[in-house]
Amino acid sequence: MKLVIDQDRCKGCNLCTLVCPYRIFLPGKTLNRKGVVVPDLDRPERCTNCRLQKLYGRTLCGLCVMICPDQAISWEEEEPHEPHKVAIEY
Amino acid sequence: MSYQDWFRQDRLPHIYCSGCGNGTVINCTLMAVDEIGWKENETVFVSGIGCSSRASGYIVTDSLHTTHGRALPFATGVKLSNPDLNVVVFTGDGDLAAIGGNHFIHACRRNIDLTVICMNNQIYGMTGGQGSPTTPAGALSTTTPYGSSEPAFDLSELAVAAGANYVARWTSYHVKELTRAIGAGMRTPGLSFIETMTQCPTNYGRRNKLRQVTDQVEFMKNHTALRQKLDRMRESGQKVPADVIAIGEFVRRDRPAMGVRR
Repeated sequence: MKLVIDQDRCKGCNLCTLVCPYRIFLPGKTLNRKGVVVPDLDRPERCTNCRLQKLYGRTLCGLCVMICPDQAISWEEEEPHEPHKVAIEY
Repeated sequence: MSYQDWFRQDRLPHIYCSGCGNGTVINCTLMAVDEIGWKENETVFVSGIGCSSRASGYIVTDSLHTTHGRALPFATGVKLSNPDLNVVVFTGDGDLAAIGGNHFIHACRRNIDLTVICMNNQIYGMTGGQGSPTTPAGALSTTTPYGSSEPAFDLSELAVAAGANYVARWTSYHVKELTRAIGAGMRTPGLSFIETMTQCPTNYGRRNKLRQVTDQVEFMKNHTALRQKLDRMRESGQKVPADVIAIGEFVRRDRPAMGVRR
């Protein structure tokens, strides 16, 4: 699974940067083609739901998806599956 | 079926301002509806007038966008004419507390089997930031340029006093708890009232030193406390700050309800 931000829907409110427990979302710096500063993704492979949803069979965490007022954040299936190297920070 | 399928994808992105909390409340409502497993053709969303009331237009099911303050009478009619339908009412604070206040207390008294979700952004957002009955004392708006001098309306306590079967209040920051509360309200027969404090960065935060969206959400996060905790603080003689809002479940009871499915 892969975390993606829909560039057409995001309005740049940065609410996702507030709620993500891993601080994957960082406030963006550049305008996209619609003139919106969309948050940047910092190593999105750290997202719990992306790593463990298949294993647990249910949605984990998912705070960013629920708090996004513009329904811009979603998870996409990755095909073919690429194993990522994940460094867990303590 | 995921909750994303309940959105009318051709209508998105919606017209709410950047960072408006109403979108979050729609997400939570549709997540709760999806968890319960209601069918699209058995669910009706009713709304009045205002920013919050545009929500029903973004949902695939049948919906009614009714006159200002009169969402509850329309919903009562829908529910009583066909008790098999599941009726959810989206409404705002100006819609429910100001012009529809009388309809609200009588809907609570009759205890009709509806789920009322009030998106309380403490201001009239759509018309340009006029003060509403829920604007907190001291807050600036276009009609209260020196700070509101009136005490604010506590809608949840009003619903408890008027006799609703389920009353809860959460904010748009507490998404998981809000989803759980909406689900519990939908399962409860009788009127269930869920008040959600939402942020209005364009018309409320901009005038009240909360310019960024995240500032206002942080403010809501830091200035809310569970109702039980506030009660304990009062019992032990501690002073409760005036700007702290009580959140949590207010009441869950079993009064006789109207319009329940036979």
